Amino acid sequence: MFKDIFLFELKYRKARAANYIYFGIMFLMCILAVTTDIVQIGGGVGQVKENAPIVIAQMIGIMAVFLSLIASAILGVAVLRDFEHNTEAILFSTPMKKFAYLMGRYWGSLVVLLLVASSLPLAFMIGDLWPTREAERLLPFNLITYWQPFFIFVVPNMFFCGAIFFASGALSRKSIVIYTQGIILLVLYLASQSMLRDLEQKEIAALLDPFGVRAFGFHTQYWTPGERNTLQIPFEGYILYNRLLWIGVGILVLIINHFAFSFNVVRGSIFKTRVFKDERITIKPEETKIPVAQQFTGFSTHLGQLLKLTIFYFKMVFKEIPFIAIVVAGMLLMFLNAMNMNELYGTSSYPTTYSVLGLLAVFNLFFVIIAVLYSGELIWKERAVNLNLIIDAMPMPDFISLISKFLGLLLVYLVLLFGLIICGIIIQASYGYYKFEIGVYFGSLYTETLAFLVLYTLLSMFIQVMVNNKFLGFAIAIAFSILVGFFGQMGLEHPLFQFGSGSLGTYSDMNVYGHFVTPFTWLQVYWLAFVVFLFAVAVIFSVRGSESVMNMRWKSGKLRLSKSLVRMMAMAVILFASTGFYIFYNTNILNEYSNSDDREDLQVDYENTLKKFEFLPQPKITSIDLKVDIYPSKRDFTAEGYFILKNKTSEPIADIHIQENAESALKTEYLKFDRKNGIKENFDKFKYTIYKLEQPLQPGDSLRMDFKTTFVTQGFVETSKSNTQVIFNGTFFNNMYFPSLGYNEGYEIGDDNKRKEKKLPEKERMMERNDPRGLAQSLFGDDADHINFKIQISTDKGQTAIAPGYLAKQWEEGDRVYFQYDMDAPMCNFFSMISANYAIKKDKWNDINLEIYYHPGHEYNLDHMMEGMKDALAYYEKHFSPYQYRQVRIMEFPRYASFAQSFANTIPFSEGIGFIAKIDDPDKDIDFTYYVTAHEVAHQWWGHQVMEAGVKGNAMLSESMSQYSALMVLKNKFTPEIIERYLKYELDRYLQGRASERKKEQPLEFVEGQGYIHYQKASLIFFALQDYIGEDSVNAAFQRFNEAWRFKDAPYPTSANLLDQIRKVTPDSLQYLIHDMFETITLFENKTETAEYEEKSKDQFEVTLKVTAEKFRADSTGLESNIPINDWIDIGIYGKNIAGKDSLIYLKKHKITQKENEYKIMVKSKPRKAGIDPLHKLIDRHSSDNTKGLIRKGKEPAS
Amino acid sequence: MQLIIQNLNKTYSNGVQALKDVNITINQGMFGLLGPNGAGKSSLMRTIATLQEADSGSITLGDLNVLTQKEEVRKILGYLPQEFGVYPKIDAVTLLDHLAVLKGITNKSERKGLVEALLHKTNLWAARHKNLGGYSGGMKQRFGIAQALIASPKLIIVDEPTAGLDPAERNRFLNLLSEIGENTVVILSTHIVEDVKELCTDMAIINKGQVLYKGSPMDAIAEVEGKVWKKRIAKSELEEYRKSFNIISERLIAGRPEITVLSDTQPDSSFDHTAADLEDVYFTHIFGTTNKEVAAQ
Repeated sequence: MFKDIFLFELKYRKARAANYIYFGIMFLMCILAVTTDIVQIGGGVGQVKENAPIVIAQMIGIMAVFLSLIASAILGVAVLRDFEHNTEAILFSTPMKKFAYLMGRYWGSLVVLLLVASSLPLAFMIGDLWPTREAERLLPFNLITYWQPFFIFVVPNMFFCGAIFFASGALSRKSIVIYTQGIILLVLYLASQSMLRDLEQKEIAALLDPFGVRAFGFHTQYWTPGERNTLQIPFEGYILYNRLLWIGVGILVLIINHFAFSFNVVRGSIFKTRVFKDERITIKPEETKIPVAQQFTGFSTHLGQLLKLTIFYFKMVFKEIPFIAIVVAGMLLMFLNAMNMNELYGTSSYPTTYSVLGLLAVFNLFFVIIAVLYSGELIWKERAVNLNLIIDAMPMPDFISLISKFLGLLLVYLVLLFGLIICGIIIQASYGYYKFEIGVYFGSLYTETLAFLVLYTLLSMFIQVMVNNKFLGFAIAIAFSILVGFFGQMGLEHPLFQFGSGSLGTYSDMNVYGHFVTPFTWLQVYWLAFVVFLFAVAVIFSVRGSESVMNMRWKSGKLRLSKSLVRMMAMAVILFASTGFYIFYNTNILNEYSNSDDREDLQVDYENTLKKFEFLPQPKITSIDLKVDIYPSKRDFTAEGYFILKNKTSEPIADIHIQENAESALKTEYLKFDRKNGIKENFDKFKYTIYKLEQPLQPGDSLRMDFKTTFVTQGFVETSKSNTQVIFNGTFFNNMYFPSLGYNEGYEIGDDNKRKEKKLPEKERMMERNDPRGLAQSLFGDDADHINFKIQISTDKGQTAIAPGYLAKQWEEGDRVYFQYDMDAPMCNFFSMISANYAIKKDKWNDINLEIYYHPGHEYNLDHMMEGMKDALAYYEKHFSPYQYRQVRIMEFPRYASFAQSFANTIPFSEGIGFIAKIDDPDKDIDFTYYVTAHEVAHQWWGHQVMEAGVKGNAMLSESMSQYSALMVLKNKFTPEIIERYLKYELDRYLQGRASERKKEQPLEFVEGQGYIHYQKASLIFFALQDYIGEDSVNAAFQRFNEAWRFKDAPYPTSANLLDQIRKVTPDSLQYLIHDMFETITLFENKTETAEYEEKSKDQFEVTLKVTAEKFRADSTGLESNIPINDWIDIGIYGKNIAGKDSLIYLKKHKITQKENEYKIMVKSKPRKAGIDPLHKLIDRHSSDNTKGLIRKGKEPAS
Repeated sequence: MQLIIQNLNKTYSNGVQALKDVNITINQGMFGLLGPNGAGKSSLMRTIATLQEADSGSITLGDLNVLTQKEEVRKILGYLPQEFGVYPKIDAVTLLDHLAVLKGITNKSERKGLVEALLHKTNLWAARHKNLGGYSGGMKQRFGIAQALIASPKLIIVDEPTAGLDPAERNRFLNLLSEIGENTVVILSTHIVEDVKELCTDMAIINKGQVLYKGSPMDAIAEVEGKVWKKRIAKSELEEYRKSFNIISERLIAGRPEITVLSDTQPDSSFDHTAADLEDVYFTHIFGTTNKEVAAQ
């Protein structure tokens, strides 16, 4: 019986065209993904080969999520179709066994589904053998790579999803329930994504995701590029658990289905439709007179009809169960995400309105679903219930039906958006935050979100009307919304081509919506005109009556071309064209427009033409005096003044090469030298000019270069490309806007694959450590060593303008305020100019003025910052050298960028990274505001006192030394547990960083701009170093290094110079550490195998530990080889302190020389857990197995 | 007011010619449109109800061109399609009120009175607050009638209205129609001859898109009066009779076929004369034509 039903199912499905179409679509998408840029679903980047097992597995895993949609279509109808085609009465009256029927249908359909799913590995296999693929970016072909993920991910997913869809179809007998199921699966998947961000929840997330993608991501998160190219997907750990869990759920669902399913034709549904008896009471219909009611036509009647219908459809949507399910699912996901908002190192931020708005954006996906689904449902509503002929014969204008459906949906959106605002406020209140900015809620949701909804709803209604097939309409609407994302890759980057373009940009408390409002508004009007036109076309072609053939619809549609409709269409076209022209005028005529291809070509051209000048000897800037006038309300500035250039070489210099900034808003009004010269060559395209001095500049001689640069903002450009440095409130730019000397290597294309495409040679990211040309220039570039600096800076009244230096004078003139800043000692050639409306907090530490310029309202963490400055100054002055300035200033700038940056005695600090941080529990949360402050203050030493050479390893000096310095400040201030937590995050981020390394991982001493090394790895390394050799010793080395290089011009120091100092303070027995930590990539695999204890007496506990320790050396791709271990490693035992928290009762370094080790250790209080390297000082990819709960010998675990 | 249909033609995109050169003039009062399933009745009715385009020809209602002045026609139109559904989750009062708004009854109290009267009239008063999804077939049909009567239409088109009604309901409905039909154009399509006979002053018989007969039911009956003959025969004889006589209908009575034959004279003595009925007219036109066609081949 089972066999017959099974085979029948296969035969039935074989004849269904849909299955072949599914196969075709999936196959095509996968092929396109690997052979072209049209479809992008993951792929190999940098060193990882394009067909590496992990890459193929990722792509198959992602495509398997899409497959679940097909699963709903195939498995959902396996039983349901008997009900839909009304064959159930015939079928169920046959002597068929329930088990055979259900299982036959299920397995038959599942086999069909898996055959469809086999399109994925097949397509990737064929795609990888495709002749156009570049052999050097591929690994040799290996069959397992394609089929293993299929069996690990696709088969269990389809089994489980299939079971759910199968059961929901069989039990509910309604197709809509199946779709709702799909949404719930999606929510689970997305929820696991948001949980993954939190270190402590990663394991749960790995289990929770029903598709296994997260478990796979979690398991392979630290795989290095080398491993990614070689390892097959393991079927172990969380991948295994996840698969078992969901297969189990699948089996459970099938069992429930078996018992819940019944062959009764009349269903015993929960939602019973009651059939009412036709009660006849005493009214005599014959005697009833139908009263005459007056019938009206005309404008006010139509308006009334429109209103009535609008409310009618609005209510109708709200009564739909799937609608409610979608909304509830969306809100659920939102609240789930709200639990860990904006986390940075496990510390959350204040739920400001804009960050809550970011959270609410989760709902956008559900909005899209609602817009597409319900514009279709409403268009088809009357036809679906077969009321269309009655309604269509009603005397109302043709457009009323469509418009009222649109307005009904609009009303739905308005209410939902209001609901979102309420949710946002609830989230804020639940965090104890009561500064509800209702204006910001409305200003974002009722503009940007609403506009997006209106556009997509009208578009989707147009599609529904034109294709006149509900499901095809859904498919086209969804396909279109996905395709829009790829328009850019097809060369249609301009916002005029990207449907629905125009965003409100990033909201900032400081700059509010800034200048983004203008382009946003114009683009919205433009697109609105477009969809209104489409809508009018839809009115003409909409089906009224029983005609569905296009030419007949046109025949009746022609009659609808009333004057007002024609006028509306004409107005829409005129508005569309004129706003389009106006936008084009702004983006392409007032401003320079170039797409990314053009820009890349220009970069290539620049490199090919001018690279020869890269190391041409040029004079260096020794003095700068500027007058900068900032006009925030116009977003303009002018800068006028002079540079003194000195020939520091031993040869005369005749040619001066000037590179002006490429930003199109910038113009050089004039640029002149104080001696006779002419233009030798002018590369206008690159804004690069070679001036020839009549009398060459002799060695040791100086000349003065006067210039005036203006920055004029004209019109607008699209939001994503607009300048966020010169703005209404919070202007922050630096000297990169001013002319510089010689070729700028930073303009070159850096990505190796792209360089190969453009036929450029591969390129090193930085110069070798001993390259004399590199040693001659500092990290701030080759234009200057130290400079004398003076600036007069002005801005509009109400704002404060700030630049490095000490305020010498401040005055007002008209509606302008002027500030004169002088620097009394030479500084580096890197300075910021800032203007904003600030409140100021002042304090003093010894004789040093401490100032924080902040946005009023952002007072939360000012005390932490102030304290950070003081503690940092105190520590650095004590351990390194005296502070070179008399002031430290922090100034807040808008969150368009999230960093803090150290200029001479001046630290711009983004509003996004600390001003709104929220420290809930000072014992647990990492105070990163304090930490970042300490780091930036440290740069006044490492970077400003000691400038390093611009060669490989440079960031180990400025950045890593600042990391260490700040970490020591942190260590003195907070508990070891907080430091431990911080280091755990650093470890995670280092391991993640190296996993996505694009070129090659360097040892710390040769770091080439790799943040995960010079920040994250450096934290771990230096913390361990001071733990091994002592904080004092490291500080002594730093101090000597500082002493040797402080305020020196070229040649500049390198990491080798610091390592020399560190070597001097390291005992012989630990010299190996320097090799392990700085010169190589060294990893450990430490693990506690067993941990037991025995209570010898009341205060005598003997702990027996069996631990393993292995040591590895990794190459630049991350491939490891085992090396002999001969290291000092911590062994630690935790007990409980008075507060009931874990605290170390034993911690000692033991020399470990072999893999397996056993220790017997006596402690005085009751031990709870123990292990090897419990504080994670060594880099270990599985740090959670370092410790283990102790088991009492022969007893249960002591937990 | 007269409804004049001239040279109306319609061919569907699948090649089926639904209307072939239809010419009918319909006066005020009840007009019956008789024809078997698939004859083109509904196509014709939908075209008159402004819901379908014609390929050629014209329809005028008084001064109105029905094919182009749709909006004007709809104002005075009451239409009950052959098959229709309802929004399942709302009740009769709400939907009727809703439709009354769409008809242009903007005065709230007038609308309320009208809706109540219609519900009384169609005997749905007791069930007015029940969701339409729970209505039986007959109740739903009565609801359809109620909505067709909103705003005292001048042109009422009811497509197979009595299908699904029990005999009592059918009577009540026909009475209702005849009440209204006095100064209104009412077009009633049906394949039940009785409906037409009882109600209509005028009628047409239509099959395969063609009008086979136009006139009053009385004239129609008079046309065949005295030409209708009946005989009960054995089943085995049926084939033979079919070949030799112009059989307009066959029916079984207690298991034995009774054939009706159209003939100017008594075919033979075994046939009995019988009084002509509208049904005979109907069958004469429907099967008469097919038989002739067969003969012509």
